[in-house]
This record gives sequence, C-alpha cells and structure tokens, in this order.
Amino acid sequence: MKTDSRQSLSTYWRWFPASFALAGIILFIFATFGPPASSSGFVSTLKGFFQSAAPEYVNDKAHYQMLPGPGSWLFAFVIGMALGGFIGGRTLKIPVRDIPEIWERKFGRSRVKRYAATFTGGFLILFGARLAGGCTLGLFISGSTQLAVSGLYFGVVIFAVAMITARMVYGKAGKERQS
Amino acid sequence: MIAQIWLGLFSGIAFGFVIQRVGATNANVMARAHLMIDSGIPKFMLTAVALSAVGLFGLQAVDVGRTLILPTSIVATGLAAVIFGIGWGLAGYCPGTAWAAVGEGRMDAIFALLGGLAGTAVFAQFHEQLVPLLYDPTNVGQISLADWLGGKAVAVAVIAIGFGLCVWGIGKIWEN
Repeated sequence: MKTDSRQSLSTYWRWFPASFALAGIILFIFATFGPPASSSGFVSTLKGFFQSAAPEYVNDKAHYQMLPGPGSWLFAFVIGMALGGFIGGRTLKIPVRDIPEIWERKFGRSRVKRYAATFTGGFLILFGARLAGGCTLGLFISGSTQLAVSGLYFGVVIFAVAMITARMVYGKAGKERQS
Repeated sequence: MIAQIWLGLFSGIAFGFVIQRVGATNANVMARAHLMIDSGIPKFMLTAVALSAVGLFGLQAVDVGRTLILPTSIVATGLAAVIFGIGWGLAGYCPGTAWAAVGEGRMDAIFALLGGLAGTAVFAQFHEQLVPLLYDPTNVGQISLADWLGGKAVAVAVIAIGFGLCVWGIGKIWEN
C-alpha cells in the first residue's frame, strides 16, 4: 500500500532539488522587489474591486490604504502564481481532483461539504494572515529568511495547529487507509 | 512601475510552477504532510528557507535587494497563527497555494480563494478596531534573531543549522 502511494507521488519533483529551485526564486524576488508575499495580493485584488464599486470606502479604510491596488507587483505576483499553477498542471500527468482523496474517504463525494470546508478554511487563513501581517510566504518564509522573530514564531504555531487540526478532521482515516 | 508588474508576474509564474511541481498545491499531499505521513512538503519548505537565509546574507553583503522585517505582536501574531493553522489544517491550502491550485483547475481551491477574499474583506472592515485591541498592546517591534544573538552571521548559521536539524528530525519522525 505504501509503495503504491509513493509511486503515484513520484512524478512530483523530489523535495531536495525543488527546495533549491524555490530558494533561487525567493532570492530573485528579494533582489528585484523585496520580501515576497501572497496574502497581500488578496488585499490588492479587493482594493481594485472596491476602487470601482465603492471608492470612498477604500479611502476610508486603513487596511486598503496600507497596500497598493491591482497595478502592483503584489497583484501581478498572485496572478502569476495562478498562471504558474496552470502551466504546471497542464504539463504533469497527475489527475487534478476537485475533492482530495483523503477527504473523500472520510467525508464522501459531497461537493457542498468540501467546498464549504475550503471556503471556511480560506476565510480563516486570510483573516489570520491579515491580522499577523503575512502568510506562509509573506511572514513565515520571508520573515525567517530575514531572521525575523515574527516569522519564526508564526511558523512554529501554524505548523503545530495545522497538524492538530488535520488530526481532528481526518482522525485515523488518514493513517490507516493510505491508498 | 511597469517593470515591477512584469517582475511580479514572472516571479509568480516561476513560484506557482515550482510549488505545483513539488505537490504543494495538492490538498491531499498537504493533509498527508500535516498527518505526518509524507514528509516531502515540510522538508521542502524548511530547506528552501535555510538556503534563502544563507543566500540573502550573501546578497546583503554585496548590498543587493530590499528587506523588511515585520513586527512581532505576542498576542496578535500568536492568535493569528492559531486561526491560520486551523484553516490550513482544514482546507489544505494556504494563501499562495490557493492561487496556484486555482490555476491548476481545482474547484475546491476556487472556494478557498473566495473564502480568502471574504476573510480579507472582514478583517479590513474591522482593522481599525482589531489592530489597537489585539496587535498594538503586545507589539515588541521589528525584532530579529540577529539582535538576540549579537550578529547576522551567527543568526544565519543558527537558522541554517536549526532548520537543517528540523528537516533531519522530520525525516526521522514522519516516516516511522
């Protein structure tokens, strides 16, 4: 069973060379822009939306004033992320699923249930990231690369809490039936 | 300005491609990482940070690049991390991987992205109340390990060795 899942994963890149590729990109970003960030891209996206829908609201709100709108590196970066994911997905022969296998084994094929869970999860990660000032990339990775205590602190807690949460969500279903 | 947009787009494409290729946009792989079944993603993340820290030290030595250390708020950074961790463990996506997974065509990631926009909008609405309440009182400033350890070179070495030990430990513990 274990070898089956290993084989199906083996078409993904190995973690060691991939970490050099990612570090190269991170350093390129530090050299040409500054600390990389992705949760800020959500703010830029919304700022763009509200600038046309309710311009006075944007001018009034500190959180939209502290970051640029869509005509910025931050917005271009998240659009690029989607394009990079698109190119990656089209050129790799691993089927893309709407519901992850592990979720389906535990909770069945209900799309409503899965989409409600990811909507809630998405809400929480962005609410948390905006409160802390960054996410996995903008606070943990960027911060730790710059030796920031905030990034290390955030990183330790997000890993610990995510591991506990995953255990509560999946229970033993994750461990016992792997293929 | 235009150059910055092209740089952002190019950086995003490269970043999104690499995290897709290593499996970080696959919520199944991420859940198995959190459940301590597959160790690839955490080892990938920590190694990338260790290498970047060493590389950034080199860049700064020749005066290249821009840095900005975010402040630490004992209450807000910790509470935010707890909220973030619950969402990450539940959905299997973080803000960056959600964008790349949407590009990959995962429907559940589209809902994670929409939820993220909603979470951003709600936080932005209450920023003026929440920041003075949660962030400011325990904000200890833009502290870095270099301040604590008395120098950047020592701090970079501690990060690189510390993260290296974590990668080794994760390899030992996860695969058992």
